[in-house]
This record gives sequence, structure tokens and C-alpha cells, in this order.
Amino acid sequence: MTAGILDPTISSISRRGRPGEPAATTQAVAAPQVDSLRDKRVGLLENTKRNAAALLDAVGTVLAETDHVDLVRMTKPEFAMPLAADVVERIIRDCDVVVIGIGDCGSCSAAAVADGIALEQRGVPVAVLCTEAFEVTSRAMAALQGRPDFPVLLMPHPIANLTDGDLTERGQTLASRVRGHFLSPAA
Amino acid sequence: MSPELEGTPAPVGTTVPESRLDPTASRAMAEYLFDRGWSDGLPVLPATQEVVEEFLLHTDRDPDEILAGLPQLDRHATVRDIALHAAMAGCRPEYLPVVLTAWEALSHERAARGGGWQSTSGPAPLVIVNGPIRHRLGVNSTGGVFGPGFRANMTIPRALGLTVRNGFGVVPQQLEQATQGIPGRWFHCVGEDEESSPWAPHSAETGVPAGQDAVSVVLTRTSEFIDNRSFRSAGELLEDIADTLQRRGPWIFRSSSAVLVLNPAHARALDDEGLSKQDVRQWLVEQAGHTEADLAAVGKALSDRPFGPFDPDHFHPAVTDATPASLPIVVAGSSNAAISMVVRVFSTWSGQSFPVH
Repeated sequence: MTAGILDPTISSISRRGRPGEPAATTQAVAAPQVDSLRDKRVGLLENTKRNAAALLDAVGTVLAETDHVDLVRMTKPEFAMPLAADVVERIIRDCDVVVIGIGDCGSCSAAAVADGIALEQRGVPVAVLCTEAFEVTSRAMAALQGRPDFPVLLMPHPIANLTDGDLTERGQTLASRVRGHFLSPAA
Repeated sequence: MSPELEGTPAPVGTTVPESRLDPTASRAMAEYLFDRGWSDGLPVLPATQEVVEEFLLHTDRDPDEILAGLPQLDRHATVRDIALHAAMAGCRPEYLPVVLTAWEALSHERAARGGGWQSTSGPAPLVIVNGPIRHRLGVNSTGGVFGPGFRANMTIPRALGLTVRNGFGVVPQQLEQATQGIPGRWFHCVGEDEESSPWAPHSAETGVPAGQDAVSVVLTRTSEFIDNRSFRSAGELLEDIADTLQRRGPWIFRSSSAVLVLNPAHARALDDEGLSKQDVRQWLVEQAGHTEADLAAVGKALSDRPFGPFDPDHFHPAVTDATPASLPIVVAGSSNAAISMVVRVFSTWSGQSFPVH
């Protein structure tokens, strides 16, 4: 006699599926293929988390040297929230590819993945950087957005207490992973 | 029974005669609901359309009004949805207006609209109830006010937690990333013992006139008690409170706000020396805090923040300013011992109470 029991995971206003169940998988919108980063405008979208701007800068500095990219530095002031519409428009206008980070907390990691998926659907190739500690929540958000296979670049946690030297070192490692991510056929 | 709880309605049973209550079926139902993944770890009750309609009779709100949501997950909860969660949490139907007003209050909190429910800090909503509704619903404000033992105090905040879990899909170790969580995260609800307080109620300081039913909700982290039965002056007691208020452990932003829940004996002792609630607040804001050097000693210097730098002897107050939003003071608990509580605030509180409906 469970027929009359209401499912609390389904809102009276929406008929979408339950969380935890696979969301309807949407077709990945193919962001334009990147053959080379040379002379590309690379957006660095930092989310105000401690050392986020510094780490993205370290990545950008390496890419500027090796690939002669132009850096476009941007800040997302509310790290837990979706990107504001005007920021999305600015990114589409000003950037060829975007590096998003750092997802090193419960809400900002999920939000970084959601932002990445939203931008990719608008045709902008993205590299989303999260720490390994938040892999599960990053994947949960990707699944919730219908993109369970969405690639997230994971790195060791934590970031907040890295020294300037650590950040430079991380920047080197990450820059080659970010480059590889953008140039791989799957990106 | 405390005078506070006189007039509490006697518990109503189900409409089934006692002889026909079926313990086997009850256990099976509880297990079924656990298996569906709809529980916070304690048994929940099944909700049907009829039950939800019964709850909705107790509010004048439009059942389809959206009262809560997480835009980043595209999840929203209507009055009707929240009634369902309240029923599953074990609320009586007449508690619904408090649950709904709690969600209205939370929807004004930046931290709750943002990433609070997903946060590593795992904040707990502290529901504070003022006005005669405490007596009508049996919301405890006296002995053992932080629980357990009182259905309204336990089930009203639990309904918020079930909304987060089931309504928003923020499930622990998935989208919910609490590092350790908070003891009793979904069980923080206190009435203010207005009758034993020497001062105007918390609600009157935060937007709803005294004597009217009001709810406010503060997102909090955990609590630390101040046990001081031996103080001989208000100054000694305030020193002791300040010492707890200024702990560096919970200090992660520019300041470190808290709710002070004073038991009536402490409140009266302060009042006896002529201190108003605002005097107490002012004293604590001026005295509680640390120098930049003190914070640097534990790796929490503020100099490298955008609002820095600071000299080593610069004094940082623990609480931003002497307002009810930055340091809410609530009187609750028994007078049987001089024990009060500092409840740490997650981020900042907007400082608003809301009329219950």
C-alpha cells in the first residue's frame, strides 16, 4: 500500500527526475576544435577562493610564454552561484578558451563544473580546475547537468595554503595539462 | 511541566483506533522509506496527498508559491512541497506556518541561497521562535532548550533538512560536502523565554513587534557553553562570555559572529546591574577580539586580505559591530544553573525576523 505515498524528491512545480538518478543525458555541444593555443585569447576566470587568482595566473604566465596566448583575467565574485549573464556574454565576446577555478570547496567545485558546462554549450572550450577532494561533488553536478562525462582537471588538495613557490610549480604542471586538455580531440 | 508548555495540545493519535495500530506494518513502512533514500538517518513518516492538504489548511499562503530554492541546481520548493517535507519530518500540521516562515527567512540569507547547504562547513539553521505561538505549538524555551525532548523543536528544523536533502537533492557525500558536519545539524530550534527575560524580545529588535508570532533563522556552525555560577559581578560574567566569543578556531573571515543564548539567570544578573541588552552587546563588541599578532600566531593573520594590511598590535573585534544582526542575544533555558551558549554564525546574518503565517 505504497501507491499513495508522495515522492519528496519531485517538486509540485517540476517533473524532473530524482537527484542521484541519471539525468537525461544531453548531447555534448561540440565546442569548436582547438588546433593550437597560439595567439588565442585565454580567459582566466578566478572565483575569489584563496590562491585561485594566483594559481590561474601561474598557469596563464606559462601559457603566455610557451604558446604566446593573450590572457583575459576575470573574477566571479559569488563562487557558489551560476555565472551572471553579463559575465557569460563578456566571456563569449572576449575569450577563445577559458580556464575556470578553483573548485576547492563543496559549493564552488559544483558551481565551477556548472559554469564550465554552460560555457561549453555556448561554444566556448573550457578547462575546469577542481581539487581531488571534491571529485565526487564535481561529478554529481556534471550528472545533474546531464553531462556525466564532462572532463574536470583534478589536482591535489588543498590550494589555500600554497606558497608562492608552490604556486609557480603547480602552474607549470597545470599549464601542460590545460594545454593537453584543450588540444585533445575530446575537449 | 513548565508554565511555558501549559496549553500545549494533547498529542493527537491517528484516526485508527489503538487496537488496530499495526507495529509490523509501521516497521515495514519505515524501512521502505529508508530504502527509497528519503531519510536523514532517522525514521520518516510517509506523506500522502491527504496529509499534505491537511497541513496546508494551517497556512494562508498560496500552495504554489515558491518559497525556497537553489538556483545553481535549478531546484525550487513550493509551499506544497515544504508541507510534504514537514509531514515526513514528523511535524504536526499546525507547525507548518513556522516551517514556511523559516524558509522565507532562509531565502533572505545570502549564505543559504548560495553554497551554504553544499559547504564543507555544513551549517545548521538555528530557528528562533518568538510570540504566543510558542505556547500554542509547545515550542520549548526553558529547560533543555537545545533538546532533545520536544517535538516542535526537533521536527521543525528537521523539515528544513529534509527539504535540502529531498527537495534540493543536496545529499551528504555527494553535493553536500560537509567535512565533519555539525552535531544535531537539523535539530536547532529554540523558543525565546520572553516571560523570564528582563529585556525586549529578540524579534522586537529584528523587525517584528513584541507579542506577535515571529521566526528568525540564523545559519550557524557549532555551539560552546559558558558555565559560570560563581561570578560576583556583571563584569566577571561578561569577561567570561567574551573569552568564549573571541575563540580563534572558528575565526575565518574578518570577524567571527555569534548568537548569544543567555539563560534567564545570566540575563537577570546583567539587568540587575543596570545593563540593557544593547549595553551587553556594546561591551562584548568592544572587549572581545584579538590583535593581528594573536591571529598571526595561529596562521590567521588578516594582513594579506583585501582589507589589510594591519599593524601587529591592531585590534580586530570578534564581532563586526554592536547590532542585533551581528550579535543576536536570545534568552532561553532554565534558571537552574547559570549556563549560557555561544552559537557560532556561519558567514553573516541579515538580522531579520519574519511574522509567522
